[in-house]
Amino acid sequence: MTGIHTLHILNKAPDHPRATRCLEMISPDDGLLLIGGGVLFLSTGCLPDAAKVFALTADVDARGIGHLSGNTSMVDYTEMVALSLQAHRVISW
Amino acid sequence: MTDTSTQSFTLVITGAPYTSQAPQTALAFARAAVNLGHRLDRVFLYGDGVHLASALCAPPSDEPHWPEEWSRFLTDHSIPGVACIASALRRGLINETEQKRYELPAANLRAPFEIAGLGDWVEGRIKSARTLYFHAGD
Amino acid sequence: MSTLIMIDHPPYGTWIGREALDMAFSLAAFDQPASLLFMGAGVNWLRKPQEAGSIGQKSVEKNLSAAQIFGIDAILADRAACEIYGLDENSLIKGVTLADADAALLSDYDHTTFAG
Repeated sequence: MTGIHTLHILNKAPDHPRATRCLEMISPDDGLLLIGGGVLFLSTGCLPDAAKVFALTADVDARGIGHLSGNTSMVDYTEMVALSLQAHRVISW
Repeated sequence: MTDTSTQSFTLVITGAPYTSQAPQTALAFARAAVNLGHRLDRVFLYGDGVHLASALCAPPSDEPHWPEEWSRFLTDHSIPGVACIASALRRGLINETEQKRYELPAANLRAPFEIAGLGDWVEGRIKSARTLYFHAGD
Repeated sequence: MSTLIMIDHPPYGTWIGREALDMAFSLAAFDQPASLLFMGAGVNWLRKPQEAGSIGQKSVEKNLSAAQIFGIDAILADRAACEIYGLDENSLIKGVTLADADAALLSDYDHTTFAG
């Protein structure tokens, strides 16, 4: 969970233009935290394989998406706070 | 790492309640931050986010009352809640000062929210360890 | 403490672009370094001439043209988006710098945000 350069917090569904742009601008050193509609990415399998991917459990559960999706780590709000402080920068998309 | 020590946050909410999930995600984040011992310097409402400061929201009784929950949280923890004045006046979020200034029939800003300029956001941006944004999801 | 304000909403249909400009101008007013990055459909804010009076709005073209005078460091436009929307040096307002919106650009700023 360390060494995240930029934490990208994405709450847009996969077909939202800003979601596309977010994935285009992520570097391999970055983390991607999926919240809100962004967790729907877990059901598409279309995630950047370089960046570390996290998903907010509450939003995943709300939308009935299974927890098992490759290398995605499930986090709660407490871990979201910690992630936002560990990263050098945070961008909310 | 910085995550174990006390840090300060400014939270900016740009999504409206009952239009977006932004205020509720922000509240859950804020509660977690406070529980971890971190400080919230300010919650700043911008754009459609100012609707969270309305004293006139009346959601159905079986739905969470997000403006009320936010007000209680801010009051309990003595955290300043600020609605951007330009966003607020355009959208009909009015305190008593602005009611008098513009000779409006009512004021509807929910305590403890206040109205102030973007300078409050700039200050948070400079002073807080992290300024985080909670946008609408659409 | 340089800040990049990103704008990806198309012009005039929502208030988010205007409110993003207000954020950048506020930073500049408090002597904080600020730049604007227009990308996606947001690059259309940079097209001249804008006659927003036709829809009862104030044009932001003048504000953008004066941005650097008011202390905004740079107005950046994503090169690829400008190509998609047929924007070139003849149709862009003055003072715009073309850039590639990528991770390298983001790393030049320590704070990056949208207005909504």
